[in-house]
Amino acid sequence: MIYERPRYLPGGDRYMLIEFGNEMNLELNFKAQGLAAAIQQSGNGGVIETAPCFASMLIHYDPDKIGFKDLTKEMQSLIDALGPSDDIELDSRLFYFPTCYLDPWTKAAVDDYCAKITKKKWDPEYVAELNGLADVQQLVRVHSGTEYWVAALGFWPGLPFMMALDPRCVLTAPKYNPPRTWTPQGTVGMGGASTAIYPVATPGGYQIFARIPVPIWDTEKRFPEFSQSICLFRPGDRVKFVPVGVEEFEHVEAQVKDGSYVYNVVDYQRFSVRNYQKWVKSLNKSDRF
Amino acid sequence: MFDVIQPGLETSIQDYPGRIGFWNQGFPPSGPMDSWSFRLANLLVGNPVGAAGLEAQYMGPTLKFSRDGVIAICGADMQAKLDGQPAPLWESIAVKSGQTLAMSAAKQGVRAYIAFAGGIDTPPWLGSRSTFHKAGVGGMEGHALKPGQSIPVAAGQGAAGAGTAGRKVKPEARPRFPSDKTWSIEVVAGPNDDWIDEAGQQRFLSSDWKLSAKSDRTGFRLDGPQWTFTEKAYKKAPENGAEPSNIIDHGYPLGAINLAGQTPIILVNDGPSMGGFINPYTVPSAAFWKLGQSKPGDIYRFKAISVDEAQAQRLALNAICQNSNIV
Repeated sequence: MIYERPRYLPGGDRYMLIEFGNEMNLELNFKAQGLAAAIQQSGNGGVIETAPCFASMLIHYDPDKIGFKDLTKEMQSLIDALGPSDDIELDSRLFYFPTCYLDPWTKAAVDDYCAKITKKKWDPEYVAELNGLADVQQLVRVHSGTEYWVAALGFWPGLPFMMALDPRCVLTAPKYNPPRTWTPQGTVGMGGASTAIYPVATPGGYQIFARIPVPIWDTEKRFPEFSQSICLFRPGDRVKFVPVGVEEFEHVEAQVKDGSYVYNVVDYQRFSVRNYQKWVKSLNKSDRF
Repeated sequence: MFDVIQPGLETSIQDYPGRIGFWNQGFPPSGPMDSWSFRLANLLVGNPVGAAGLEAQYMGPTLKFSRDGVIAICGADMQAKLDGQPAPLWESIAVKSGQTLAMSAAKQGVRAYIAFAGGIDTPPWLGSRSTFHKAGVGGMEGHALKPGQSIPVAAGQGAAGAGTAGRKVKPEARPRFPSDKTWSIEVVAGPNDDWIDEAGQQRFLSSDWKLSAKSDRTGFRLDGPQWTFTEKAYKKAPENGAEPSNIIDHGYPLGAINLAGQTPIILVNDGPSMGGFINPYTVPSAAFWKLGQSKPGDIYRFKAISVDEAQAQRLALNAICQNSNIV
């Protein structure tokens, strides 16, 4: 549910967690991102940084400048001023990624997990079955059929937590238990209703079924997209996975390696929650691609 | 300037308060685990409290100076020797070009801090020189010190900046490490204390928790009794996850006692910014030094305090880390 009044929860002497609700719902994330933008605009000196997530936002504040109670009041008045989330508009870039679904690399990671840790169904088969899809080919169609909303970055620097914007493409998946000890860099996977891209090879818990050859973080800043930050994404960006075969994947991988790759990013759009909601209402959510 | 002869165990460059402002991209602050000792070390050599220095863990490094200067060592006792002669803790020391500082295993405490007059002058990365090993950023080439590296130290500004030997931290301003390996650690309830039932909260606050060997600068794992939950942990939307300690991914406060299944992990300086587990309690900043100086096998007893008390303790610690406590 979405709370009528957000909950303001303390995290020690310098953090506050604001919970907007207890479900995964794009509207809650719009609210969290709207509040993060409002705090930045208000120039609140007591707030050091914010970390919006799916249904909540963490605030790191300076207790020398503001106490917990006063911060609660200030945040509530900013939230009240936000108005309905329908009114929220955010700058939103759109990234297109060549994506090799059902690729050999994530399959190797799953096979290794089965051999060394515990047997499980191949992730794409498992996710397709759980979501009532005909086969793994339909999983590819459905998963790549939508733009994804970057709801938050975290867990690992630059790792995007994303949600499907098209309700016809919403999928869910449980997490690995126990987690995987390794995941190839650039792996695309799902856990809960969230899709993520692994910035580097790390352990992981998401079901994995695709890979992109394009770096989403770059400590060497080899591409202009990283001039401001070594993380490619900002909350409020969108991502579209474009299915490609192994050959095309390797072609792009080679371009990345020699530095000739050009990021396919659209950067002139504002995301209007009202327009988005209107579009969602016009859809038959039970349709699948 | 000094050269690394032996690096010790993951000795790293850190500054205080570290890499702040990038939590929403997943970057932890890093920085010294025991900022009390770290700040005092900097004050001893005439630096601002935050200047970059070294954090040595368990086993200290061996360093050879290539320039005259002033240093100070605070925190754990690693039996430092300068050209074979014992080098005092909590005191600024003159070092000459060509001299060697050799440190060994920590006798009391775990982390020692070495400050250099002028401060370590590696290139800052995202506004900080702190090392974040896991991602290979900051510090010296992104990682802990390696043998053969030459570490640049800035020239101190003016007479005070060049450092003065023989300055000491007043004994009452130094952190005291317990002799019985048992630590009283303050915690503030929240953000998710309402997921733990009354009995579970009682058990948490009245039990001995043992620091596990599976602990590092990302998290401190604790062994102890089972947790029990309120209805909230079971009656929840499926996107929270199946386990009682699962919650919709949310931001983690630094110091959060993060409950992964039944295992509590205190998220510390290099910890994750976000994830899908509840955080019933949070260790406030003024108690972090105790985490930094405790070793696997040590016992934690948690003591609940309010947000206001935690903020008062932070101010009190800031007041200790002042030049008035250097004589």
